[in-house]
Amino acid sequence: MRTLAVARGVAWRTLHNVFTNPSLFIPSLLFPLFFFTAFAGGLSRVQDVPGFDYAEGYTAFQFVFVLLQSAAFGGVFTGFGIARDFESGFARRLLLAAPNRSGIVLGYAVAALIRWFATAVILTAIALAVGMHVGGSGVDLVGLYSLAVIVNAAALLWAAGVAMRLRTMQAGPIMQMPVFLVLFFAPVYVPLSLLQGWIHAVAVVNPLTRVLEAARGFLAGSPTEVAAAFGAALALAAAFSIWAFRGLRKAEAAG
Amino acid sequence: MGDYAIEATDLVRQFKNGPRAVDGIDLAVTPGEIYGFLGPNGAGKSTTVHMLTTLLPPTSGTARVAGYDVVTEGQHVRAAIGAALQEAALDPLLTGREHLRLQASLQALPRGVRNQRADELIARVGLTHAADRKVRGYSGGMKRRLDLAMALVHRPSVLFLDEPTTGLDIQSRTALWDEVARLAREDAVTVFLTTQYLEEADVLADRVGIIDHGHIVAEGTTDELKAQVGRPTVEAIPDDPDEAPRLAEILSRFGDPCGSTKGVGVRLRTGETDLADVVRALDAAGIEVANLQLHQPTLDDVFLAKTGRSLEGSDEEETEPARAELAAEPA
Repeated sequence: MRTLAVARGVAWRTLHNVFTNPSLFIPSLLFPLFFFTAFAGGLSRVQDVPGFDYAEGYTAFQFVFVLLQSAAFGGVFTGFGIARDFESGFARRLLLAAPNRSGIVLGYAVAALIRWFATAVILTAIALAVGMHVGGSGVDLVGLYSLAVIVNAAALLWAAGVAMRLRTMQAGPIMQMPVFLVLFFAPVYVPLSLLQGWIHAVAVVNPLTRVLEAARGFLAGSPTEVAAAFGAALALAAAFSIWAFRGLRKAEAAG
Repeated sequence: MGDYAIEATDLVRQFKNGPRAVDGIDLAVTPGEIYGFLGPNGAGKSTTVHMLTTLLPPTSGTARVAGYDVVTEGQHVRAAIGAALQEAALDPLLTGREHLRLQASLQALPRGVRNQRADELIARVGLTHAADRKVRGYSGGMKRRLDLAMALVHRPSVLFLDEPTTGLDIQSRTALWDEVARLAREDAVTVFLTTQYLEEADVLADRVGIIDHGHIVAEGTTDELKAQVGRPTVEAIPDDPDEAPRLAEILSRFGDPCGSTKGVGVRLRTGETDLADVVRALDAAGIEVANLQLHQPTLDDVFLAKTGRSLEGSDEEETEPARAELAAEPA
């Protein structure tokens, strides 16, 4: 019960600050909307390239990527907040006030999820408004958004681990850059089959490729590699939860 | 809880490539006591508090707070204590009332009790008028008072206050002293108070521990500590400077000569009760004095006697170790 109480308190405070301060919320909302508009609009002729075989069209193809990207960056942006809390000393207050400190990480994770959910609702509404085709059933869409939730959690746990080890806002690029690279070394603009050379080789081994392909399959109503995608996403989340909780221990040891 | 609210044995904190900030201290603070931890900057006061509040693991030694081990039972320690640390780290985007509700939530207070407790504490620390304002507009004194209120949300049995009045004006300082004294007197809260102000320790503390370079160099009630240093002194300045030899001769009947910058001084043989006899003797001899003062030993005299330095004005000398302590990585 104490863990949940701590998590509730930390999540409330994080969300309160995000949703009452446009400077914190707007960038994390505009970022995916900009990518969606730029990619789906500016690159829409990619769907005419021979070999582009995604049935729902380029808008849906890009929507899935941007949805997962917003989930990942929703986690990273919350990680920035954790680093800010350590730098300002507020995290010390949380460490001191929370009988159960695991609840602090859980609270940040809940906040990251709700924060991303707000972005996802707006992004989805805009995608539907501009005519995105959805071939998948309700169950398929649950699969799509479930994958995004796991990506959000994995990214938050990664960023939290970095933030609690370095305890400074200067850790921002270290949180962001690997996530950025993993996202963009996946088949972002064209299907995997159209990638060539080293980028194809990297995309094949990139765990996010499995997640992206499966998510696009869910939206189209023809799920592929579902077990591999959930396995990869859950493995990342599990690994980064160990990373995050060890980061918490490091922060505790540093006082 | 056992016999002591706070108990530490041979507590050590060694920083990697840095000083041994706390070097084997022993503490035994009884429930309901106000314990003043006095020392200059960098002496190890805050490091001790951080260990006792589970913010920093000790390098060696043991400590129990509210009956729980700070290393193995940190969760229980945190549930039992309240703490207002040196830097009142508050969220500038939250109001005072929101801070208290957050603290209540972190301490798992029932939802129905949270608002009532927040209102009660806001009123007690005199922040009712500012409760719904964001704390970025608070003065230093208001932040300190809010910090104290947050530390009390869950009715802790042990309260740690790390230099609670540093930077406060006299009015805010006095108000905080009154509240701390009330907490110990009426609510039986054990208070562990670090300070570098002699007056604060003198006014508030039931017992005082003096720490220097990570060691406790003296401990006891303020009266006991002053008695260790010596008896009070009397200093007299004659109206006529030529009367100084006669004045010295008369005063010497009451004690041993001691230094005086302008007049004649003696350390009284039996204590301040001699003062009336001194006045009568001077009157009988017809010596007029321009100034007659009784000096009680101060905690600064105790610090001077134990360390060879004065506590007041020793900060600059201690600044470098303090910085090293902050910069050093944990071992």
